[in-house]
Amino acid sequence: MPTIVFYILTLATFAAIYGVLALGLNVQWGYAGILNFMYIAFVAVGGYVTSLLMLPPAQPALLGESYVLGLNWPFIPALIVGGLAAALLAFIVGLLSLKRLRSDYFAIVTVAVALVLWTIAGNDTALVNGWDGISAIPQPFFNALNLDYNSYGFFFLGLCIVILIIVYIFSERLYRSPFGRALRTVREDELVAQGLGKNVFSLRLKAFVIGAFIAGIGGALLVMSVGAFNPSAWTTGETFFIWAALLLGGSANNRGALLGALLVPVLFSEATRFLPSVSSSPQLIDALRYIAIGILIILTVAFRPQGLLAERRFKVRRSKLLAPELAAAGGGTGIHVEDEVIAAEHSNLVSPDSSAGEDREEEASDGR
Amino acid sequence: MQIIQSLLLSFGFGLITASVLAIAAVGLTLQFGVTNYINFAYGDLLTFGVYIALVINQRLGLSIWVGLVIAIIATAILAWLINIFLLRPFVARNSPPIIMLVVTLGISLILQNAILGIFSEQFQSYAVNTGTTLHLGPFLFTPLQLVIFALALITMLGIHILLRYTRLGKAMRAVSDSPELARISGINTRFIVNVVWLLAGGLAGLSGVVLALNVSSFTPTLGFGFLFVIFAAVILGGIGRPYGAMIGALVVGVATEMSATFISSEYKDAIALVILILALLLRPQGIFTSRGRA
Repeated sequence: MPTIVFYILTLATFAAIYGVLALGLNVQWGYAGILNFMYIAFVAVGGYVTSLLMLPPAQPALLGESYVLGLNWPFIPALIVGGLAAALLAFIVGLLSLKRLRSDYFAIVTVAVALVLWTIAGNDTALVNGWDGISAIPQPFFNALNLDYNSYGFFFLGLCIVILIIVYIFSERLYRSPFGRALRTVREDELVAQGLGKNVFSLRLKAFVIGAFIAGIGGALLVMSVGAFNPSAWTTGETFFIWAALLLGGSANNRGALLGALLVPVLFSEATRFLPSVSSSPQLIDALRYIAIGILIILTVAFRPQGLLAERRFKVRRSKLLAPELAAAGGGTGIHVEDEVIAAEHSNLVSPDSSAGEDREEEASDGR
Repeated sequence: MQIIQSLLLSFGFGLITASVLAIAAVGLTLQFGVTNYINFAYGDLLTFGVYIALVINQRLGLSIWVGLVIAIIATAILAWLINIFLLRPFVARNSPPIIMLVVTLGISLILQNAILGIFSEQFQSYAVNTGTTLHLGPFLFTPLQLVIFALALITMLGIHILLRYTRLGKAMRAVSDSPELARISGINTRFIVNVVWLLAGGLAGLSGVVLALNVSSFTPTLGFGFLFVIFAAVILGGIGRPYGAMIGALVVGVATEMSATFISSEYKDAIALVILILALLLRPQGIFTSRGRA
């Protein structure tokens, strides 16, 4: 296969997987407004559990790797269980922390948990083979299909795209569902949501867990695409990468999430490869990437907090809000009703001016 | 009694870790008390101080103590500049604490990776003579560690005098307690915030160099890794409370070192993290009950 095709194939697979990851984070951050800095830990848990289930039993003496599980499972069950494992972790963390802590303290707890997990994974060699990590991870349906290496690449890309589409449809449905609306109410103004009788904690916890499940799925795909995994792949910095992608692309907007997933990880990681490597410091490129991410975060929050593709505005006709008798009566009762379109601007998520859900009336006569 | 001996020994090490930690924790808690948002870039301010001192020490060949002084000044100025140009604009817009955290996160990424880009990941050390180890009763200290301990004590004393007996210190406490009331009372809050950033930066620079001296070899991720240990001390002591931070530093420093007697030393940092998690979950206002900010 010509190198350029292979390159695009790898890039596209990476983009699809990152899309899944961004969509999962969007449920937590975009829908629910939860600042979660341990997202990469969910990705890692999903990746590890799926791989460990699919791997053959460990043979430390023979192959030099020791790990738990190793049950030779097929792909789909392993994938689901991987996602569930990540969801379980989120459930535990969320159950203990979401109720009590304000959002920035919760963020600190999440980083601390991620770091603890990372330390354990690295040092406890019996668990997931420590810092060296696991390798030779079986790829989905590889044996069943009996394809050669190149064609398998296309198949795997197709698999990732299919999963991406499923996750996208699921997330969109979630957004428009009553659950999604309740979640966004909580995000905008917690007190109002409570006043309306919504169980804020339960909603947030559910969003946290769902986002983690998607992260687990994405993590499994990520690990499968590379075939190996070790703790250096999921340092805390990686969460910020995905998170910056979402922030830039557009929080609470799934198309924005996909755009961000395309722009930040893929463009950054891959495009900078074409830059000539400064010979005196090879890690300069890597450092520059993170500096760019940092600048990007600050600029985005300063000038375009809603991201490139902003969340869609929720439009409703005024006449639909009034009681039918009043709307019909119109001039007779002296109430002048114009059928205006009210556009609610979602501002509370990242916008500094907390004008929570202020209604702005737009003059839009509908041709009467 | 072997175990008593090693416990006492690790207690001694814990005191030194606590010394380093106390300086940093006081800086962070003072800054949070006045500004009411968490500074994720604080650890990287430490690293900045460390590498300024490294440049002075290595490239210019001067004594590390000269480097220390310059690091303190440089980090203080950097912190102050960051406040003026990067943080104050967001505060002026009434950004919620979560946004401030995000901005400081961006600053952390930039600062940490700028240092990483310049100095690479290789381990560096200061050219300093640690001196021969002394036996003080059951404890084992190098003269350098004793200097660190003394520096911490002097700093704590200095902070105490500042907060208790100077007008500036009282103004800082007032702003920390209630910015609105302070402003109404005629205190120039903007000035106090600037002073706090200078002070926090200076303390960060000092604790960074001292930390680097204690661990002897370091990389650009030194500060960021230490940040969560600092958080543990600060949260434990009650955020915004300098005296609490000192106690918190003592507890965390001693606990992490003494835990190494029982579990593998790689998990030392994990102990601090566990303390942090438990503190946030069980007693976010700190062990000395303070106004609930969690």
